[in-house]
Amino acid sequence: MNRPNRRSVLRSGVGLSALASGVLGAPTIVTAQGKPHAGTTINAACFQTTYFEYLKNYFPEFEDKTGIKVNFNMQAFPVYNQRTDLELSTRGSALDVINVTFIYSGRWIGAGWVSNLDPFLKDPKLTPAGWDPEDFAGGPQSAMKNAKGETFGFTWEAGAMILGAARYDLIERAGLGLPKTFDDLIKVCDAVHNKDNVAAFTADRLHHWNWIPYLMGVGGAVFKDPPENLTPTLATPQAAQSAEWYANLLTKYGPDGVLSYSDDQAMRSQISGRANIRTQAITWMVPLAKHADSTVQKTVRYGLMPEGPKGNFPGSNSHGLGIPAGSKKKEAAWEFIKWALSKETIAMVVKNHGYPSVCRLSIIKSPEFKQVLTLNGQDVASMYLDVLQLGGKTGYMKYRTVPIYPQVGDKINKAIERIATKQQNAPDALKQAQAEAIQDLQKAGIKIDT
Amino acid sequence: MSTSGRARRRDRLLMQALAVLLALLALSPFLWLVLMSFKTNAEIFRFPPRFFFEATTANYAALWTSEFRNSFANSLIVSTVSTALSLLIGVPAAYALSRWTTRGGGTITLWILASRMAPPIAFTIPYFLVYRHLELLDTRTGLVVIYLTFNLSLVIWMMRPFYDQLPRSLEEAAWIDGATLWQGFYRIILPLSGPGLAATAILCFLFAWNDFFFALILTRTEAMTAPVAVVNFMNYEGWEWGRIAAGGTMIMLPVLIFSFVVRRYLVHGLTGGALKG
Repeated sequence: MNRPNRRSVLRSGVGLSALASGVLGAPTIVTAQGKPHAGTTINAACFQTTYFEYLKNYFPEFEDKTGIKVNFNMQAFPVYNQRTDLELSTRGSALDVINVTFIYSGRWIGAGWVSNLDPFLKDPKLTPAGWDPEDFAGGPQSAMKNAKGETFGFTWEAGAMILGAARYDLIERAGLGLPKTFDDLIKVCDAVHNKDNVAAFTADRLHHWNWIPYLMGVGGAVFKDPPENLTPTLATPQAAQSAEWYANLLTKYGPDGVLSYSDDQAMRSQISGRANIRTQAITWMVPLAKHADSTVQKTVRYGLMPEGPKGNFPGSNSHGLGIPAGSKKKEAAWEFIKWALSKETIAMVVKNHGYPSVCRLSIIKSPEFKQVLTLNGQDVASMYLDVLQLGGKTGYMKYRTVPIYPQVGDKINKAIERIATKQQNAPDALKQAQAEAIQDLQKAGIKIDT
Repeated sequence: MSTSGRARRRDRLLMQALAVLLALLALSPFLWLVLMSFKTNAEIFRFPPRFFFEATTANYAALWTSEFRNSFANSLIVSTVSTALSLLIGVPAAYALSRWTTRGGGTITLWILASRMAPPIAFTIPYFLVYRHLELLDTRTGLVVIYLTFNLSLVIWMMRPFYDQLPRSLEEAAWIDGATLWQGFYRIILPLSGPGLAATAILCFLFAWNDFFFALILTRTEAMTAPVAVVNFMNYEGWEWGRIAAGGTMIMLPVLIFSFVVRRYLVHGLTGGALKG
């Protein structure tokens, strides 16, 4: 015989309460018990990610606590973005909670497709003071706000670009340390390239993410003054010099086929010990030390992104949870977001699953998180926090959340490819990218300097 | 054996060897995919790759226990039903248009191609909005209707030349013998167009089976098809290469089997209608 469990008892309780309220004609008892949304089903969607894979295990707790059932659907990153963009652009009500994808945040928020969460935050009945929205790190959270400072999402994941050297032992053997400047990076690459059949550097083909910190490091930029002035600044001597330098870094020190690498292939090239250094978000760096397939667990070391003559501009990004403007169950959706991103829930995911990319400062500074991100004796948690705060302080990442960036970024990718494959010299390739970017901006009706 | 006989034999062997080499070259991506599907992720990324390795069926087992199983079933159902319906509606239509001698017949045949006159993306938003209104999003019925819409023109345009080249005297003889119009078509004409039917069926099936775009836009979870499900193995933090390869192999399998079964008719069917001058 099945023993009654907590959920079946609760379900029976809800059923009996509802029956009693019907019979007595009184207001629903479930509401009085603090479950105003009991019986509601919300539909949530995100791309495939470990945070929500882990979180799914705890959905029954949320459902018991609120009576809200969650249909959480995860799809591949491009699939999710395509479907959600279509759903939002047609003001659909099929989704109640969505992931506000970093590169689309400007477009979705700017177009009014995502709900303003400030009214929820200001209402003490909907958000208790202890939830503490100020606890979310400012850098990642800035992508979830509009120019007026209104909040449209809360971040669950932040990417902070750091440097990972899969075979630090080779660097040490050459009598060198982790590179701190662009010049150091070339020096290290020269010294270790093809030692033990390991390529010195690796990267994926998303150059509009990987190259930009190097561009900014020499004083270049993608736009003049984003988000206000989006005049492209790609056809400049700094940009040409930097693009040539970066293309050379890939072709001279990268493994065969590096120009076509996806994110995962670049990570695998390090995990399998075929490539040494990569500058990329922490999400793809931690597996070098923790992934079961990693052959470099013992030799990997981490450092901050190298600096250029004009400073250090490591990439940072974030993804957040938001509520579509068309949702008809906004309050229930907010209940879910509050629970999924509460200090307690995030702490639980970090503690039980070692998730490395959280956004609440109180968690990032906690001993548990430090323990999770102490890798080969290095305090990677501090590096993570440094990068997130750096991005928030000067706002140099604003270029990446402007609605037109996906199109402009595509032109940058192609320009770098043309340079790396010697189809075009750097000034011409970037001049072409500049012209194409201007066309995209004009098509989108964005004013640019002439 | 004479010198010329030996030379002919040598040439034949040479041509056969060349054919085998070309076939291997053409099939190498497929072979690579199949081999990958039996490797672990670590083995897939081993460099240099090993020719002999410890094969694992874990990727296939993982597919079987994941949502891919339902997606595969969705693909099979949607492709089969849409192909059957396309033939059921399109073949009599092609026959009717072939035998219709008015000037309007040609115009109608041309307009039937309208659904293929624009790239699928042009229809995305209208289809999405209509489907949402009709509550056909994320349903197999919705996908069947879409594939039927696009395949009907293919069936009519492929089958009509077959019927054009069949002499009318065949069905007229049947009518004289007392057959009805329908019986003449069903018992006389249809069996003669077997190769064309096989070729058309396989093209319709391939269109529905391989479609990614409409399945991506018009489904969510319940009606998701196999090509979309495979992409879902590309996680944000890392791709499941073994499962992607196993999924790709599984997707190719029904098409291979289907093509193998009807291979005798395929070439004849694809060129048959072209003989009409």
